[in-house]
Amino acid sequence: MPVSNATAWGQFPDGRPLHRWTLRNARDAQIDITDLGGTLLSWQSPDRQGRVGEVLLGHATAQQYIESNAYMGAIVGRWANRIRGGRFRLDGIDYKVDRNDGGNHLHGGHYGFHLQRWDVEPDGESLVMRLVSPEGDGGFPGEVHVELRYRFDDDGTLDLQYKATSDAPTPLSLTAHPYFNLNDRRPDVRDHVIRIDADEFLAIDAGAIPVGRQHVAGTAFDFRDAAPIGSRLHWPDPQLRLVGGFDHCYIPRGPTGSALRPVAVITEPSSGRRLSVETDRPGLQFYSGQKLTGQPSRGEDPYGPFAGFALEAQAFPDQINGPEAEGAILRPGVTWRQHTRYRVDTA
Amino acid sequence: MTRLTRGVVISPAMAPHRIALLFNANKVYDRQVIAGIGHYLNSTRVEWDLFMEEDFRSRMRDISQFRGDGVIADFDDPEAPEALSGLHIPVVAIGGSYHDPANYPAEVPYIATDNARLIRLAYDHLIEQGLTRFAFYGLPPHPTSRWAHEREHAFRAIVDEESVEGMVYQGSPTSAGGWGQAVEELVTWLAELPKPIGIVAVTDARARQLLQACVMGGIAVPEQIAIVGIDNDPMAQLLTRIPLTSVIQGAEEMGRTAAHLLHQMLRGMDCAGTRVLVPPVGINVQASSKFHPIRSPHVMRASHYIRQYGCLGIKTEQVADYVGVSRTVLEEHFKRELKQTVHQVILTHKLDTACDLIANSDVPLADIALRCGFTSLQYMYAVFRREYDCTPRQYLDLHRKTAAT
Repeated sequence: MPVSNATAWGQFPDGRPLHRWTLRNARDAQIDITDLGGTLLSWQSPDRQGRVGEVLLGHATAQQYIESNAYMGAIVGRWANRIRGGRFRLDGIDYKVDRNDGGNHLHGGHYGFHLQRWDVEPDGESLVMRLVSPEGDGGFPGEVHVELRYRFDDDGTLDLQYKATSDAPTPLSLTAHPYFNLNDRRPDVRDHVIRIDADEFLAIDAGAIPVGRQHVAGTAFDFRDAAPIGSRLHWPDPQLRLVGGFDHCYIPRGPTGSALRPVAVITEPSSGRRLSVETDRPGLQFYSGQKLTGQPSRGEDPYGPFAGFALEAQAFPDQINGPEAEGAILRPGVTWRQHTRYRVDTA
Repeated sequence: MTRLTRGVVISPAMAPHRIALLFNANKVYDRQVIAGIGHYLNSTRVEWDLFMEEDFRSRMRDISQFRGDGVIADFDDPEAPEALSGLHIPVVAIGGSYHDPANYPAEVPYIATDNARLIRLAYDHLIEQGLTRFAFYGLPPHPTSRWAHEREHAFRAIVDEESVEGMVYQGSPTSAGGWGQAVEELVTWLAELPKPIGIVAVTDARARQLLQACVMGGIAVPEQIAIVGIDNDPMAQLLTRIPLTSVIQGAEEMGRTAAHLLHQMLRGMDCAGTRVLVPPVGINVQASSKFHPIRSPHVMRASHYIRQYGCLGIKTEQVADYVGVSRTVLEEHFKRELKQTVHQVILTHKLDTACDLIANSDVPLADIALRCGFTSLQYMYAVFRREYDCTPRQYLDLHRKTAAT
């Protein structure tokens, strides 16, 4: 179905108006998107009984999105996840970027893509989002032009196709950052059952920076057979204790960079809803939402711990400082492409 | 005892740990726990010599003789804590959750099926079907079924908290001798319940008794009584004419968790006091709970009859005879309530049953045609082409699960 007309939705700090658009499909599902951070504000989807309910966490006002640090539903750039010490070397030049997470860089810095006002243009059934990130944005080199095309299909698939170009070499890793709770009647995702098609994940240090690949076998991180999130949190595992739950990057099986591959499926027994994720990115960050406590919700009560989980398709954290750095660099004359799909239906 | 070695040549220095699994593995739940232990071992390539009773039944009193390295035991068995207390090797307990923490064994790491979450899932499902009255069919108190009492407690807690009507019936123990009288009492209890009502049965075995009693008492399922069981036991499905909705326990995950904890303890980790509650992993929604309010008692009775006998080649006339009204009156009620003719509803039932058999069994198509009340395989082909625009063979190629054997 065609995208709805824009409706007013709060104000950007410089006084310009913000807007929201609605994508609908033939099965009574709908998704709301705003130009503030290209953010997914709401995703309403039928449950097993056909009753439509909210599956995304969200704040109530534009102001809360601007002040919050949860990246709720936002598009994250230029660099999704962390860069150790906020430093990297590219073509022999040392760069320092915003350090906004302890001593590390996180999610594009102080004014990442999630806090920018994107240009939005409905195009038939798609919503096209555009952003120009100037030279020096967050400390990153090159002027980067980003285009993201959101399309919502009748089978419940939200398709995200990213394109980017730059006039100078720059690290680039974009991601969407929706927090899901597939059961709108219980503000806790620990009963969700998750499968992640990955044999390895990146073990981290106390600053959440990867220290090496680790096989999932015999650990709480092995979700190759589906398992409830909540009971795994009680496995004695030093990697879980470091960050109070899951906040780790998985390395899903299969070739990356060109074709979509299925990477994760999450089911929620009570509602019968199911989320499937496909991506061409090398990494899939799984965050179990343990630190959402106190984040403003759409209603009166703020969110508690484990109110939602995030699955972010992206480059490896700190990849720019590792042996696979080249795979995360956008060079002039090249069009960068990323493709990710989230589908919500019922099992 | 039989000795199950997973066939690998092992050097003496790498002698595998000898592990006893103490389960009454004649139920699907215990078998899934054991399967989960197996999955963990396969995924890690950990080698354990597994000891189990030959007939898959544990005998706690023999365990003191066990000369091994570790035990995973069913602590729903009331003899387990004492029988294992003298062993100076790592023990991991599997059992039901308790609302009172004092009921857990003090030291032993304990992996539990979360009884409160099982009942909550069953109850929420009935709520979503539009039901407003609820009952629980449990078991009489017995030391070996403390988990049943915990589920009953969870049910009482929910209906108290939500201030809704909730009745509890424990019934009689299942024994061949007294069964006739027990089922009569069950029919009486069901007959006296206000209707419509949703009943949570403590297990699928109990749910199956409810279905039987409903047939005997002429009570329509799910229109008058909607039923949810626990276990998703394929055996219970085989033995009921109306497919049973059932909560799926996270039993395999419990097995994986227990194996992981024991694995860590054998490496020297102290897991004393570790407690992991595993929530249910799903609910298999079938006809027994698909309640949607129907106003016409004629349609209700007719639907019940079609669900039971729809695959036996019945026609509209027989349904009308059963309900006790003329064909015209019955068709009028069907049109108003379901926007379908009686014939269409019978056909839909036959097709649904056929599709289910095609996808979830390995029964040949010709047999499926007969079992579902089609007069011939050719006729089933014709109906499939008309209704689904494909042949049963094409449907089979698309949907039959490879694992079905």
